[in-house]
Amino acid sequence: MDMHGAFDALRNRAFERQTLRVLLALAMLLCIAAHLLLPIAPLREAHEIDPELANLLLVQLRLPRTLLVIGYGAALGVSGAALQATFANPLASPDISGASSGAALGAVIGGYWLGISQPLALAACGAAGALGTLGLLVGLAGRKADTATLLLAGLAISLAAGAATSLALSLAPSPFAFYDAFDWLMGSFTDRSLSQAAAALVPASFATALLLRRARALDLIGLGEDVAASLGLRPRRLSLEVIALSAVAVGACVSVAGAIGFVGLVAPLFARRISGGHPGKAMIPAAMIGAVLLTLADLAVRAVPLDRPIPVGVITALFGTPLFIWMVVTMRRRLTA
Amino acid sequence: MTSLQAIDIALDRRLQPTSIDVPSGQLVALVGPNGGGKTSLLRALARVELASGQVTVDGEDLDLAPEARRRRLLSFLPASREVTWPIAARDVIRLGLDRPDEDRIAELIALFELELLADRPVNHLSTGERARVLTARALASRPRILLLDEPLSNLDPYWVLRFFEIFETVAASGQSFLIALHDLAQLPRFDRALLIADGEVQMDEAPANLVVGECFGEIFRIREGADGDWEIRRPEGRRSSP
Amino acid sequence: MSVSALLLGVSGALRVASLNLCTDEYLLLLARPSEIASVSRLSHDPAESPLWRAARRYPANRGSLEGVITARPTLILTMGGGGRSSAAIARRMSVRTIDLPFPASIDDVERNMVRVASALGNVSRAAEWRKELVRMRAHRGAGQDAIFLTDNGFSVSSEGTGAEWMALAGFDQRPLPGGRATLETLTLHPPKILLRSNYRQNQHSIGQAWLAHPLARKARSKAIWTDGRPWTCMGPLMLSEIARLRDKR
Repeated sequence: MDMHGAFDALRNRAFERQTLRVLLALAMLLCIAAHLLLPIAPLREAHEIDPELANLLLVQLRLPRTLLVIGYGAALGVSGAALQATFANPLASPDISGASSGAALGAVIGGYWLGISQPLALAACGAAGALGTLGLLVGLAGRKADTATLLLAGLAISLAAGAATSLALSLAPSPFAFYDAFDWLMGSFTDRSLSQAAAALVPASFATALLLRRARALDLIGLGEDVAASLGLRPRRLSLEVIALSAVAVGACVSVAGAIGFVGLVAPLFARRISGGHPGKAMIPAAMIGAVLLTLADLAVRAVPLDRPIPVGVITALFGTPLFIWMVVTMRRRLTA
Repeated sequence: MTSLQAIDIALDRRLQPTSIDVPSGQLVALVGPNGGGKTSLLRALARVELASGQVTVDGEDLDLAPEARRRRLLSFLPASREVTWPIAARDVIRLGLDRPDEDRIAELIALFELELLADRPVNHLSTGERARVLTARALASRPRILLLDEPLSNLDPYWVLRFFEIFETVAASGQSFLIALHDLAQLPRFDRALLIADGEVQMDEAPANLVVGECFGEIFRIREGADGDWEIRRPEGRRSSP
Repeated sequence: MSVSALLLGVSGALRVASLNLCTDEYLLLLARPSEIASVSRLSHDPAESPLWRAARRYPANRGSLEGVITARPTLILTMGGGGRSSAAIARRMSVRTIDLPFPASIDDVERNMVRVASALGNVSRAAEWRKELVRMRAHRGAGQDAIFLTDNGFSVSSEGTGAEWMALAGFDQRPLPGGRATLETLTLHPPKILLRSNYRQNQHSIGQAWLAHPLARKARSKAIWTDGRPWTCMGPLMLSEIARLRDKR
């Protein structure tokens, strides 16, 4: 192929990716609008009684929920992509690595046992829990673990942390704590306040921004740690930074809305289609895809008119599990090919 | 003019403190038994995290050089050809550059005959094809020093010879190569050979002198026979030469 | 007569054990100290019972028959759950059991009071309580639109015992879908009176955090706090709480 043809191909692929990015941005805007305004009936009703009331509902009830859904989804996408880049494994993610479950455990112990009620302090407890489980994973499986080891260690830690969370809730002072288990282990955005949203999203945005700055470095890590070192990077320090920042981002969100799985695993997978396979450049698309996925899941939760709400994590598991199985099957095929 | 100056570089227990000088434009082979320290020497020169000592390229201390400068001074190609991510070959090569340079990429694609593979994900290529892509990446930024760990393994004979042509052309413009080798057949094409065993440089000679050295025979336990082929050297103790 | 029956029945004195928080209320209100053999451990908890100080004078049980048998009761009070097997075992040991139904109305509460009082040997022990009830029923005022609110927005049924008690205090519990008040309801159609339960207020749970939501806190209703503990059983202890709430209007 001559130079001309090469440039044409280049432009076509770039054009394709650019289109996908624009579509993604549009999807995000649409989701935000839908999530804020649907169902529209209560807002209309409020407006009829008093326009101020509609504003009140929008700002105090709808806005925190939408902000949380977008922010949490984005945090999951970015930290999922970053963890996958660091562990050089497309199956690493906040849920599989145990970070989400660890965060739930941290928040539960802080809130129900240590009596911490200030939302930011609870977010710190969540971050500490996530850091603990991620540290345990690195200790057990090592950073350069193969897929099987990583999966087994991560799942074991996840399960243990989940069980510990249930135990902590059933032994907690408040007798209602036990019934909160569902919310902590499977997620819920119902009736969260603006201050709770801020407590989750301020640290999460901070940590996410710092992660995004490392996009280029994470791309280079994809060539191998030694190559990255030869280019002037410090792979081990970068790993620790990614783990710490992911723990903060995920931990803060879990402390408000509970642990939600699969979004952090699946969003980077699709994002790498947009970034051409680069793990670091995939972080921004992963943020948007994660936000869209979680918004759709929460819209589904609100659309189902039941007495008891379906936890968001059930919806994400419904679409995430088949995808996860497909990923494992294709990986196995590639390994044995 | 000395391009590379390494003083007391060491790595863990796998490489004892070693000092090396490499002038510009030289092709240096690193040979030695498995686990002897060839890879460790290359890694130490590439300044991986546990490496100690000091490495200077064209007067610049590598450890102090900023990231943007590093890739112009040195490039490392590890022995493993594994790539985790489905990145197009062309984009892998692009990772070797810090500024977009489509002409340079096109040049390398032509050089390594990757036209048909340029847009395929690199982890779906054969090992030999991946070797070409990753070597192209290493060459992309025109570094002064190239550290290549077994670049010729997985290559068919045409490519072994092509790679040497490429190396020799690049060396002619002043860039130096340190290449770890397993197959001694290519040794004569190098300017200089280092024998590394037990974490130390045991011999530093011209290739022709290296293979006849007593040290070489002891370490590799082979010697060149009368008809020019290699044969196993039995440990019979001292006896008079035939 | 079996040996156990001999051992238990030989003294002839009345000793009553209560296995349930709700039956504890009747026992603590109507019995003399010497007649109380054991109360459930929930009554010892200040977060569960207003009578915890009195309850702590007596040994606590965990709600099962084996737990109280060493206290040698002659009568056991139960309510719902486990009544059947406990009653069967107790009968074999010649211990009398009374299983009180969970009250579906204030009349049920009154009936329970009468039953326990006569089991204790003197119906007139319940007389004072019953007189107070009659007095409150006679002087009930017009009802105001009200919602009883506890953690997570849960309320009481507009047809149940809780609503009846509220009516005595002059509060009309609004019918709510699913028995729960949403933040939208509190904002769009705030009730005149918000009857807020302080049950386990300082113990964290997601439901408690719900009550801290700005739309729940700044609700444009008159908020009246009520001791949440009697509401668990909605039994005889509600009478004094309702009397107190009446004065708050």
